[in-house]
Amino acid sequence: MEENKNLTAERSLEIIRESIERSQRTITKNSSWSMMWWGMLVVVFSLLTAFLWKNYGGPVWNFLWAAMWVIGYVGEWVIERYKDPVPTTFVSKTIGYVWSTFGIFVGSVSLILGLIGGGILSWELIMPNVFIFGGITSIICLCFGIATTITGAVVKNRVIQICGLVAGLGGFFGALHYPDHRQLFVMAAVGVVGLVVPGLIIRVQNQK
Amino acid sequence: MFPNLDPLLHSELRLAVMSLLMSADEAEFPYIKEQTGATAGNLSVQIEKLSTAGYIEVEKTFKGKKPCTICRVTPTGLKAFENYVKTLKNYLEVGKK
Repeated sequence: MEENKNLTAERSLEIIRESIERSQRTITKNSSWSMMWWGMLVVVFSLLTAFLWKNYGGPVWNFLWAAMWVIGYVGEWVIERYKDPVPTTFVSKTIGYVWSTFGIFVGSVSLILGLIGGGILSWELIMPNVFIFGGITSIICLCFGIATTITGAVVKNRVIQICGLVAGLGGFFGALHYPDHRQLFVMAAVGVVGLVVPGLIIRVQNQK
Repeated sequence: MFPNLDPLLHSELRLAVMSLLMSADEAEFPYIKEQTGATAGNLSVQIEKLSTAGYIEVEKTFKGKKPCTICRVTPTGLKAFENYVKTLKNYLEVGKK
């Protein structure tokens, strides 16, 4: 690209579009390695855990998922070292927020359920009747929380991120704890913590 | 040809550099060089011009033992780029009429 005094308006717009698109393609290509790595780990660990569960001692093998996280992060570190260096953009940051939020939520739920499964925490703490009532309310609350936490990360607001974590995890376990109409009280609380409060925070911030 | 267009941005390489930096928080010199296909010497000169005008900020640091040049757009650069695109659009609209 050299100096060109006769640059037309059309050519200028084309340069802007091409530069942004080329940069975006490089960033998208780079994120593919992490997706393939974690995808392969999920496939391997799902099949391995299913095999061991069926043939050697039952659901205790679900503890292997913890090993997957460790191997996954070591691999991620290696990928980061060897992939082409690219700048941080809004898109790459948002992709990071989405997956790290997913990781935090799934990790927290797995850890708590794992501690219960391992006998360290009692089942009654979460499900009083020792009866899994994994209704849709729990799942909705979890999704609510994930969406709010990502919103908090994108708008760079720690309080909204915490609201999302509290609403999502609190709502998920709260709805499991109350397997009847009281689930909807949990849902109402999730609506307040996960949407109303963050909405008010954003409104107050924009009024400043 | 386009009297109202910012002459500093109305150059292929400088415009490409600014466009790249607009979509990124910051970018390293080798990345900009690879994306624009410019020679190191030419790119350094154009980056210097943008930096002198206050459109970009250049940070010279080290990555391990290697020197590393990081560029990022300043609020002045952002404003200038927005004005440049707005003016371009006006020219194109006038041209269509």
